[in-house]
Amino acid sequence: MGTSITTWENVSAYFTFADNPMMLMLFTLGVVGIVAGLIRFIMKHEKEAFENHK
Amino acid sequence: MATETPTLESLQAALDAQQAVFNMHQAMNVEVFYWWCTAIMVMIHAGFLAYEMGASRSKNALAAGVKNILALAVIIPTFYLFGWWIYNAFPTGLIPIEASGALPWAASMGPDVQDMGTGIFWAAFALFGATTGSILSGAVIERIRVSAFLILTVVLGSGVWILAGAWGWHPDGWMLTEMGYHDVGASGVVHAIAGFFTLGVLINLGPRVGKFINGVPQQIKAHNLPMTLIGLMMIIFGFFGFLGGCIIFNGGDVGWTTIYNTPTNLSAFAFNTLMGFAGGVIGCYIATRDPFWTMSGGLVGIISVAAGLDIYAPGLAFIIATCVSFIAVGAAKKLEKMGVDDAVGAVAVHGVTGVVAVILVGVFAGGTPNMDGNPPISLYGQTVCAIVMMVLGFVPGYIVSYLLKKADMLRVPTNVEDLGLDEVEILAHPYPETAPSITPVATNIDLEAKGA
Repeated sequence: MGTSITTWENVSAYFTFADNPMMLMLFTLGVVGIVAGLIRFIMKHEKEAFENHK
Repeated sequence: MATETPTLESLQAALDAQQAVFNMHQAMNVEVFYWWCTAIMVMIHAGFLAYEMGASRSKNALAAGVKNILALAVIIPTFYLFGWWIYNAFPTGLIPIEASGALPWAASMGPDVQDMGTGIFWAAFALFGATTGSILSGAVIERIRVSAFLILTVVLGSGVWILAGAWGWHPDGWMLTEMGYHDVGASGVVHAIAGFFTLGVLINLGPRVGKFINGVPQQIKAHNLPMTLIGLMMIIFGFFGFLGGCIIFNGGDVGWTTIYNTPTNLSAFAFNTLMGFAGGVIGCYIATRDPFWTMSGGLVGIISVAAGLDIYAPGLAFIIATCVSFIAVGAAKKLEKMGVDDAVGAVAVHGVTGVVAVILVGVFAGGTPNMDGNPPISLYGQTVCAIVMMVLGFVPGYIVSYLLKKADMLRVPTNVEDLGLDEVEILAHPYPETAPSITPVATNIDLEAKGA
């Protein structure tokens, strides 16, 4: 389950668990979400830290 | 034991098999070369990490370090998302050409047993981008918000520099095809871009509290100067990976070429990298006799000759590096007098030196032919492209930092700057045994209580 190949014969590109455009797009959105989430998380942390030291 | 008499067909088959083995090993060698260039480039970031932490006051040392580590962590995925596509889509200007193969869902952007090139080139370029982020990182220490810095570093490291790379480093880049642009070691596309982007940010960010008293610049001392010197030397080490990644390892019987397809080899790069390093150290030492600037001189020297590493005589590279060091030191002093607080001299070391380096190729190598019908190197072309690099770097840096400033998202509050970013944001001390005994050391329980 999850693999896009059943044999190594004539294999070129392979994307385990993402052998269709929809999954690749979801992974891409996941990467975007994590990077944007990190920056949002840091903004929140900064706001709270600055509030605590007023 | 009987042996079959070889036929023409069997000999041809044996030859084809040998050729296939040779081709596979050559393709593997290409991958191995860029793999290690990328690995060595990581040392640039280790160097910037040590250098920035050392250049900070102890109350900001960890914040400077965390900021630098996170820069690397956000540039890599964003370069995967759109940086590589920008390089492939924008060589002709601002209108994209077809480059769907470089989008993150393309077959070549992942494990592909038939593609022994895309991933390794993507990795090297991602690390070039991370270098631009580190150049910005050092200049803005001790007062920028980490969140604002990360937004700016993504714009620079996965956007602006690689657009310059598409224009000045791509085989079809308009700077090459129309101007004969020559910048083999990225003096312009990496260093000038990052330096002038940094200048745009510094203007909006403003100086650290206490840097200027009644308009007179004050020296804010690094808390660990030895660490900055070691960090700078680590960057020099990493430069060998960076510059190795700037040369093209071709298959077949072509051998090494520059990124512009002109002949060169690692020997040429070796002569001029080392002679540039030495000249830069000497020049900055004579100009300042300051330890930080003496070691920064190594960077100035290499950047000053990087654009023409393949075509300079080593003695000329040495003299260029020595002389450009005085220009870099002078530029740093001038910027300080103008009220710009560049904590590590990044604008002078990378921006000014990078621009001068690009122009000097036109001075010393004007008329040198290019390949593939592209115009020869010229002083006019190099000067125009240097100006483009300055503008392309400065404008996005200024605009994005201006918008962040207007949204009150750019700079930490003044009281936080006074207390130190480590105390407020990081909740840790770099040297706990030397912290005042009345200052409780933060524990996990404390962090949870503070909502961290």
